[in-house]
Amino acid sequence: MNTLLPAIFPELVLIVTACVLFIVGVSNKAASRRFAPVLALVALMFVFGYQCRQSAGDRAAITDPFNTIHVAKFAEYIKLLTAGIGVLLVLLAWPTNANATGNNALDFGHDAGEFFALMLASLAGIFLVAGANDIILLFLGIELASIPTYIMVSVSRPIPVAQEAGVKYFFLGAMAAAIMLFGFSYLYGTTGMINLDQIADKFADAGAMTPWQQLAIVMLVLGFCFKIAAVPLHFYAGDVYQGAATPVTAFLSYVPKTSGMVALIKILFVATGMSWIGSPMLIKLLWVLAAATMTVGNVLGLLQFNVKRVLAYSSIAHSGYMLVGLAALVAATDSPTRQSALEGVLFYLAAYGISNAAAFGVLMLLPATQGQVFGSDEIPPATSAETFEDLAGQGRRHPALGLAMAVTCFSLIGLPLTIGFFGKLLLIRPALNAQMYWLVIITVINAAISAGYYLRIVGTMFLRAEPEAATVGNVSRPVMGTPIVAAVCLSAAATLLFGTILPATQVLTNETAGATVIQGGRMSQSGMARNVTR
Amino acid sequence: MPQNVWLLILLLVPLLGSAICALMPSNAAARAWALIVSCLTAGVSVLLATKLHWNGDFDLQWGYALNNPLSLESVRFGVKLGADAVSMWLILLTALLMPLAIAASFASITDRAKQYYAWMLLLLFAMMGVFVARDLLLFYVFFELTLVPMFFIIGIWGGPERRYAAAKFFLFTFAGSVFTLAVVIFIGIKNPGGFELNSAIKFSQTLPSETRFWIFLGLLAGFAVKVPLFPVHTWLPLAHTEAPTAGSVILAGVLLKLGTYGIYKLALPLGLVGQPGLIHQLAVFVAILCLIGIIYGALAAWVQKDIKKLVAYSSVSHLGFCVLGLVALNTIGISGSVLYMINHGLSTGAMFLVIGMIYDRFHTRDINELSGLGRRMPIMAFFFVFFVFSSVGLPGLNGFVSEFLTILGAFTADHLGPKYGAVAALGIILGALYMLHMTARVIFGPLKYPHMDDHGHTAHGDAHGQADQGQKADPGHGELSRDLNFREIAILVPLAIAVVVLGVKPNLVLKTIEPPVRALSQSPAVSPSSVAQAQVVQAQLAKAK
Repeated sequence: MNTLLPAIFPELVLIVTACVLFIVGVSNKAASRRFAPVLALVALMFVFGYQCRQSAGDRAAITDPFNTIHVAKFAEYIKLLTAGIGVLLVLLAWPTNANATGNNALDFGHDAGEFFALMLASLAGIFLVAGANDIILLFLGIELASIPTYIMVSVSRPIPVAQEAGVKYFFLGAMAAAIMLFGFSYLYGTTGMINLDQIADKFADAGAMTPWQQLAIVMLVLGFCFKIAAVPLHFYAGDVYQGAATPVTAFLSYVPKTSGMVALIKILFVATGMSWIGSPMLIKLLWVLAAATMTVGNVLGLLQFNVKRVLAYSSIAHSGYMLVGLAALVAATDSPTRQSALEGVLFYLAAYGISNAAAFGVLMLLPATQGQVFGSDEIPPATSAETFEDLAGQGRRHPALGLAMAVTCFSLIGLPLTIGFFGKLLLIRPALNAQMYWLVIITVINAAISAGYYLRIVGTMFLRAEPEAATVGNVSRPVMGTPIVAAVCLSAAATLLFGTILPATQVLTNETAGATVIQGGRMSQSGMARNVTR
Repeated sequence: MPQNVWLLILLLVPLLGSAICALMPSNAAARAWALIVSCLTAGVSVLLATKLHWNGDFDLQWGYALNNPLSLESVRFGVKLGADAVSMWLILLTALLMPLAIAASFASITDRAKQYYAWMLLLLFAMMGVFVARDLLLFYVFFELTLVPMFFIIGIWGGPERRYAAAKFFLFTFAGSVFTLAVVIFIGIKNPGGFELNSAIKFSQTLPSETRFWIFLGLLAGFAVKVPLFPVHTWLPLAHTEAPTAGSVILAGVLLKLGTYGIYKLALPLGLVGQPGLIHQLAVFVAILCLIGIIYGALAAWVQKDIKKLVAYSSVSHLGFCVLGLVALNTIGISGSVLYMINHGLSTGAMFLVIGMIYDRFHTRDINELSGLGRRMPIMAFFFVFFVFSSVGLPGLNGFVSEFLTILGAFTADHLGPKYGAVAALGIILGALYMLHMTARVIFGPLKYPHMDDHGHTAHGDAHGQADQGQKADPGHGELSRDLNFREIAILVPLAIAVVVLGVKPNLVLKTIEPPVRALSQSPAVSPSSVAQAQVVQAQLAKAK
């Protein structure tokens, strides 16, 4: 099928809905603000259903006439996953307060329409990245996923910290984009091509990379490191995650990470000349990035007092785990290992996305005990739990929320009976197969370190005394918004379901395996033909 | 081979029971429900025991069928269950201790009892799972799963330092076992049979010595923390002291055995057996750690002021014997160790129960504040002294045979020899010293009540009282010197019977565990005559004393 429309149909749905939402956002009425998330949710559910149908059938890959977009099983999987997690993220940002100007944690004032439009646009960015087969579209997709998030951080709550976070995120993001573009320009300059398949062909023909090409790859990897919050461009994560309203933080910890990870996989495909066999330089680069990212994330996570910062550093660490999978991918010597490595990374994306939503959701549903944030005198309109003090004893007061948080934290640690366990299992497996024993040892040590701060969250919620009634009295009790509760329940239930009901896990691993079979070695017709002739 | 679905039921009963327990309408109902479920589990265990061929013909198995619904083909993982004589004895031990531990919590746990009993039943599920798992990954899953309920049981219902104790317990064990996970996955991907235990053992025999070195060390990392062996034992005294009574009973009675059972079932066959070079390196290394643990644990126990802490350190010392017998790698040593696991579970579990009963009355466990309790509480004193004797290894009671066999195992092992046996024997003397020293002060001596203030707390206990929310408030000063009531006696009697039975007829266990143990030690020459020989020596020693 050589048509443009089927290739970008889900993206079109999201973008058109976003445009409608921008128009809806002009209205100042509360009714329109209440309508905006419904529309966004319907669009995402529709896309999710569409993707479910797509991945159920065994359809051939779709390529548009210009070979710019190539949608195979790999892209279908990323789209399905993103639409599913997107539903959770929209539910978390649901405006549940009286005037529909925000919820416990979020306060976007009258900009509900714009806010959800930006959300959809950003999600559409991931869809484009997943399908992109050309460096221009790849870059545009990444930026489409990122630029709305800069605005979302700033408008998420009317306090200076959020503005500061937004500005910081914007400038650093712009710098990362510049580095990335620099890399893309060298890629184009040394090969004369913009099509990923054709560049990969060139790399395959040339054998070894030239120094300029190496520079291009290093710059691209660096640029993606910013998106996935990996060392050495991870510095923004703590401040930005803390400054943004909690639902936006949840968004940040999934959307840019996924777009960066998918783009990184594509660039690895190109840089290895479709063979996935990395040069020693590439293997070493990913090895060092993985080890440093995990360790930095986890060690700094131990030192934090703000739970959102803890989750920010844990998000860095989880990127590190996924980089272990990518390092195994390029270091593996046989193709089953390569496939299982890619499978592990894609599974982990799902595991992290699913578990993480519940963690942020629980934070949103709990009140802040101090009543003021960041030492400012004025009480901001939207306050939800942020520090360990806020969580103290809340698991005793709200056992269901505490249980959801416990399930999430145990999943993020990688304890059995949760999806996170299988995530870690599927990442360690290929790394051992690729004989990266030291990297595995570093990974498991990091898993043990991460248990320290996740356990602190669970321990604070369950083992500390409940807050005194007096301190709670002067803080208005947060509304248990149904959509937020639904998101937490969905995400915690999925975390447990995929961890305990083995057939369900089987479905998800089959799905990821399917996504990697198509991706593993052939991205388009030209690539396929090449692989067959070899 | 027939599929035995009762193995699966053994796991499902406590799992479903736990879920239902959390939804019970009242605390009293949850309490009764937990007791019923734990007794049901015990019933299933006994049923399984009747189905097992104790002569070692074949194991009970479930999940080996090709169309196992509980499997994950893509990682070659499946829920495969099985039980041989060794597993079965430990299952029976767990089945015996759990209802008693739950019954012992009736008076002391009143705060959020529903959650407490739900966690206890989940813990029962996880422990049973470890003993019946015949798949490496499944074993790890259950092994790790025991951490979660225990974390909450210590952390919510424990003593004044419960939060620190719970976190230390969790982090120590988890940090050790992540290495176990890495090794398990390594074997699972290299072994053509996946994570299945028997095929993994066969496969591991083909691996080069260097690989098995790392396999053993990785597995040991997880199990040594759980046992605990000497340098990584520091979580244990804290966790035992801070845990509520039932928590300590289960922790000492069963959870520590998960470590020794892991060494027996996984670390030895996968990493050590059949590699003489490695045995000389690693088994000796572990044996030295055991000896340090035996002596150090005993000396540390001697100077404790808190009875519970004293018994906790005695566990460090006792488990040293147990692992020493395992790494002796001969039939005597290993059978002695397996017997030791059961005996230690019985006597130390019982010790913690009695100490819990003392604490319920006086709210102190300080040796200096308790004295002459035997004069006012003769029944309690009887059980206390009885279990102390069982613990120090008085001939005729259960501890003696297993202690003797593990030391004999060390004596006769080629790679260890008399030196190791002699040092371990020194540990027995120390063990008798500190236990009897403590007994003399607490039970005998002049009668001394702990100083009570108006609220019936001791000065010592009151300081704890603030933070001590998990424990029930004092039952009242009127009942201060009341002896054990019917419920408490009913809890202790089954244990006392088991102690006597295993002391008089250790062959009950030794005979049945011999086939699997001999298969592991691969030294048919030393058995069964050696077991009989040990019996003779025991009888002679008993006469001599």
